[in-house]
Order: sequence, then structure tokens, then C-alpha cells
Amino acid sequence: MSLSSHVPDPRLVTAYAEHCDGPLHRVNPWTKLAVVGALVLAVTVVTELAVLAAVYASTLAVYGVAGLPYRRLAAWYTLPALFVVSVAGPLAFLEPGTPIAGAVATPVGGLSVTWAGATLFAELACRSLTVATFALTAAMTTRYADVAHLLGQLLPRPVDQVALLTYRFTFVMVETLEELLKAVVSRGGTLTEFWRERRVYARILGTTLLTAIERSERLVKSMEARGYDGDITVYGHVSRPPATELLAAAGCYAVVGGYVLLDTGVVA
Amino acid sequence: MAHIHLGEGSFPLWALAVWTALGVGLLSAVVYRLRTGGIETRQIALAGIGAAASFAIFQLNVPIWGGVHMNLTGLVGILAGPLLGTLIALVVNVFSAAMGHGAVGLLGANVLVNASEAIVAYYLFRALVGLDWDAFPAGAGAATVGLSVGAVVMGGIILVSGVNGSALPRADLAVAVAGLVGFNLGVALVEGVLTGFVVQFLASVRPDLVGIGASDADAESTGVTA
Repeated sequence: MSLSSHVPDPRLVTAYAEHCDGPLHRVNPWTKLAVVGALVLAVTVVTELAVLAAVYASTLAVYGVAGLPYRRLAAWYTLPALFVVSVAGPLAFLEPGTPIAGAVATPVGGLSVTWAGATLFAELACRSLTVATFALTAAMTTRYADVAHLLGQLLPRPVDQVALLTYRFTFVMVETLEELLKAVVSRGGTLTEFWRERRVYARILGTTLLTAIERSERLVKSMEARGYDGDITVYGHVSRPPATELLAAAGCYAVVGGYVLLDTGVVA
Repeated sequence: MAHIHLGEGSFPLWALAVWTALGVGLLSAVVYRLRTGGIETRQIALAGIGAAASFAIFQLNVPIWGGVHMNLTGLVGILAGPLLGTLIALVVNVFSAAMGHGAVGLLGANVLVNASEAIVAYYLFRALVGLDWDAFPAGAGAATVGLSVGAVVMGGIILVSGVNGSALPRADLAVAVAGLVGFNLGVALVEGVLTGFVVQFLASVRPDLVGIGASDADAESTGVTA
């Protein structure tokens, strides 16, 4: 029994950011953040499957160019894909249009996937996976200190303080949880059946939270002993992006804007 | 912890703007309350590490229906209170979106869903404890109802927004969304029972954390416990 393999482990994500040196590691974090915004905008306003597929293929290529592992990405797609299937799956059957194959008779009537339904499914998958892929790319190529600096700059106080502590202690809490799981397994627990071992689960989770709360109580003392006045000092600094990157980011937004103008017929 | 179970780009742009504005409005109100109430160091530390614990717990695969992941938002609400619970929901959603789970553009909507879970669970738990309920039924009941409210809010947000690119009438979309909400209600029940056991465990080792058998006058006056 261990932690899930289809949820990205923040320790692994950070290890890629700290120890690898691909082309995207050298891109300014502000630029990567701006591209995330442009991609969110793009997958929201683009209406054609071919364009969405092209954008998704581009982000996949960028992920590979950054030197990141495709095999892990496939495992990490489980939850985003589940999200798509959970709503787009039924929609593929409900969407009005021409059936792809004949309808299957069911007690509630004919059931068929329409071309429009299948297209919608593919569109939603491309939209979702595009940003999930690039968000992971950005997370796996941006160093801890840079992420901390961005959090401190972007979020209002006291949310930034909470986020910085969360980022710092996520690694500790994951290790705490992992050690608790090992302890249970070493005592003969299997954790394969929830209901039979519900109390064990409750103790694992309860102890994790208890550890968190007691750690926070100790942290308060150390923060106050260091004269904490509502500001956690972040030593990292992220400079402004160079002109070429600024132009590239602006270009992304210009392309999205241009697409909207063409798509809505404002520009013929 | 319910989520808008749609990926990035699934809502039209106007819906993205509306839910983001509402999410920002809720967070602004929470930050304002915390700032004017004078936030203490212990509250920041609790929220920070509580969010880290919630995010870490999400890594655990619970073997139900092929595997579900939980953030225990109801429990976080019960332990941290409505204000810090909302902040924790935001931070966990930000970190989840960075890991490809959830969506950057749907942060506002997801914060509304998770904040409703934490807030309802907190107030219901306080009410049930006030009625002399034991730790398990109070924790399980409060978390189940809180998470169920979150699931319904989630379904409502999808129904109001519609799905980008879908020509489906709202009535038919409601059928698809009802299935999703139904599944989440099932998960809410399981997570609620689990929360009940965790609250029972915490009440046995640290009753002060859940306000059972200890004075919680301070918690009621500030809206922040633990």
C-alpha cells in the first residue's frame, strides 16, 4: 500500500524542477504563468476540434521538449480524463444529431452516440488535457524558490502566507502520511477494503491531521520567536521576463484574440 | 470534496467570468473579516499546515468503487472554522490546479463549491454538538450534509453555465448532471462516515480540537476553532 500513482507526487514534481535542466527550466516563471492564462483563454473560446487538437498537440510537444516523462503523464491523466468522461460521456449519448452507428435498444428507448456527441467529447478532452499538461509542465520546470516568490506576489495577505506555509509543509505531510501507511502495512494491515478497515483509515487520516495541528502549534512558537509580523520572508526573486519572452507571451494572447475576431466574423 | 467535474474550457467565457467574480467576492469578504478581526499567527499556521494535510490526504487512494480521492473538506471546515476553511479550500484548489487536477479557470467555481462544504459542515457540527450529539454522529452528519450541499452547488453551477460547444437543452443536461451529483452524494456519504470516525478519534485524543467537552465560546466569537 502506498500513495496513488495517478496523482502527481509534489516531491517528484519539485525534483524535476530542481534537478533537471531542459529548455523550459530557463524560461522565466512569469512567462510560463502568462502562457497558462493564454491557454485557459484559448481552450475557452476556440470552437473547432481541429484547432483544439492542434493546441493540445503543441502542449504535448512542449512537455517532451522540456525533457519530462510521457509515461508518468499518461498515469497522471487518470483524474482529468475521469472528469471528462463523467460529464462528456453521458453528453456523447444525449447530444442531438446523426448516430454514428445504429441505436442500441434499451428499456428507455434507443441509445446511440451521435457525431455531435463524439465531437463534443473529443473537444472537452482536448480542452481539459491541454491546460492540465501545460500546468504540469510549468510546475515541473519552475524551481521551489521561484514558485514561492510567485505565490507571495500574486496572492493577497494573509492568503499568500497560508499558501507559502502550505507549499513548505506539503512535502512534510506527504511523508508523514507515507510513514503512517508503512507502519500500518508493517503491522499486517492491507488497506485494500475500505469498510473492513474503516477505523484504520480514520486513524491514519486523524493522525495526519493531528500531526499537522501539533506541528502548526510548534510552528507558531518558532514564528513568534523569530519576530513574525505577518510576513514570511521569501529569499528567492524572479526578475521581469526578457523582451523576447514578453513578446512571445503577448503573441499568444494576440493569436487567441485574432482567432476570436475571425471566428465571430468581426474580421472577414 | 466535490469538484466541478469538468476540465478547463468546459464553461463559456461569460460563466468563467461570473464564477470567478463570485469566488473573488467570497474570498474578499473572508479576507476582510480576517483582517478586521485581527488574524493571529496560530490561525495562519493552522490554515497553512491544514491545507498541506488536506492536499497530502488527496494523494491517498481509498479503495471504494475502483478508488476515490478525498480532501476531507468537511473535516477541515469542522476543525478550522468557516473563514480559515474557505482559505484552505482556495489554497488546496490552487495547488491541485497546478498539478493538473481541477482547472485554473474554474478556481472561482471550485472555491464556491468547497467553501460551501466547509461552512455548512462547521455550523451543522456546532449545532449538533450543542444538542449533545456524540462525536461520531455529529461529525458524520455534518460532513455528509456539508459535502452533499457542495455536490448540489456543483451541479447547479454546471446547469447554470451550460457546457461549451453543447447544443443540449438544459433539461437534458440536467439528466447528465444529475448522475454526476448522485455519484458525488454517494462519495459524500462515504467521506461523511470516514469524517465521523476521524472526529471520534480526534475527540478521544484531543477533545479541545473538536470542541467536545471543552469550552468553545472563543470559537463561536471569532468563527475560528482549533
